[in-house]
Amino acid sequence: MIDFDKQFEIFKLIGESLEREVVCYAIGGTAMLFLGLKESTKDVDLVFEKKDDRKEIKDTLNKIGFKEKNEIEIYGHKEAIKKAPLLLGRDDFRFDLFLEDIISFKLSPGIKERVRERHEFNRFKLFVVSPEDILLLKSATDRKGDRLDAKKIIETFNINWDIIIKECEWQTKRGRKIFSIFLYDFLEELKEMETEIPKNIIKKVRDIGEKKMLEVIRNKKN
Amino acid sequence: MNWQKLAKKLEGLQTVENIEKILGIGRNTAINYIYEMRKRGFIHEESRGKNKKRLYEIRPYKKITNGYPGLYEIINLNSPVKVVRPYKTVVYEKISIEEALVRAIETKKFRVVLASLSLFRKVGNWYKLYNAAKKACVGRKVGALYDVYRKSINKVGKMDKRVRNLLKQTKIKDRYIIPKLKSDDFKEIEKEWNVHVPFNKEDLKRYKNDRF
Repeated sequence: MIDFDKQFEIFKLIGESLEREVVCYAIGGTAMLFLGLKESTKDVDLVFEKKDDRKEIKDTLNKIGFKEKNEIEIYGHKEAIKKAPLLLGRDDFRFDLFLEDIISFKLSPGIKERVRERHEFNRFKLFVVSPEDILLLKSATDRKGDRLDAKKIIETFNINWDIIIKECEWQTKRGRKIFSIFLYDFLEELKEMETEIPKNIIKKVRDIGEKKMLEVIRNKKN
Repeated sequence: MNWQKLAKKLEGLQTVENIEKILGIGRNTAINYIYEMRKRGFIHEESRGKNKKRLYEIRPYKKITNGYPGLYEIINLNSPVKVVRPYKTVVYEKISIEEALVRAIETKKFRVVLASLSLFRKVGNWYKLYNAAKKACVGRKVGALYDVYRKSINKVGKMDKRVRNLLKQTKIKDRYIIPKLKSDDFKEIEKEWNVHVPFNKEDLKRYKNDRF
């Protein structure tokens, strides 16, 4: 497991080793560590806008002893690998380097606007995404730990549910079409775990999902 | 008492009076709550608002205590003209005043550049400023802004002559400090440094009205 100090040391090392400025977004457990919501995380999740930036980080990590891991081992089948991140590991430390797409999620302009914090480790610049976006990103996975993290986020922060709806609409339109269905399932599961979620929000997400499904069916028929 | 829950309830910018109202408590209890929340890291920043009233930025998560202030935080600490930061910045390698000046110019934002002018008053090492400016290709822009500030406010130390000459010889990528903005009042400075100054005398009035 990676705790804040370990993560901090490695980011500092990356910042010192980089030859040029690199910007990326911290999501998932990494973002939660920065927001003091978690003590440790399994991996460091970073999203890049530019391919060159991701390559620069990959090369830097290689220099400091990280080696590429096989995506099939972790993501199971070849289809998922298309959008799978670059995986680099050293001992029990793993980096997941995404490029714009995070499994069924896209790095949207809204996510960039809502950034809460910026951390600068020399040339390595890291944006920490908002709690709303961490929550949305958690819906893209199936792990139980992610549900528990999401519950903690909702309990800790005053979640702006309008952002959740807006982002859900954006992702359904421009990202993966079935995102709203994932999100609906995710919110229902959270509700079963006795998490406080406004009823109308779940309904709104369901409506977005139903509308999209009908659209897809109609298009297929035509 | 669950302090995190309380911080969640009070999230945002608050004054003691606000906290009294929201929680329906007395002044002494509100001050005690602030003390406890500060101790637990839920108060991220304290500043002074209008009438020098204390403002507390309360967040439901703990503040990271390591790192140094970023560009916006440095400007707000040192300048009478304040800027709204888009997000909180934590830097793990301290930014000097000289570097902050150069970074402010690199943002190409009117308000940020305007607010950063007063950092000239805190420059301790003109060579350091020259080196940072040269590296970022903004040397002549730094020189022009220094002249604008000195001409309008005249509360700034004199720049080393050799540094001034060196700054004049630096290369820049484009002549605009802020895209498409030229000055009507500082034509001579523009001519001397061969860059476009984005400010007029009116813009710098704010500085004159503020007491240092």
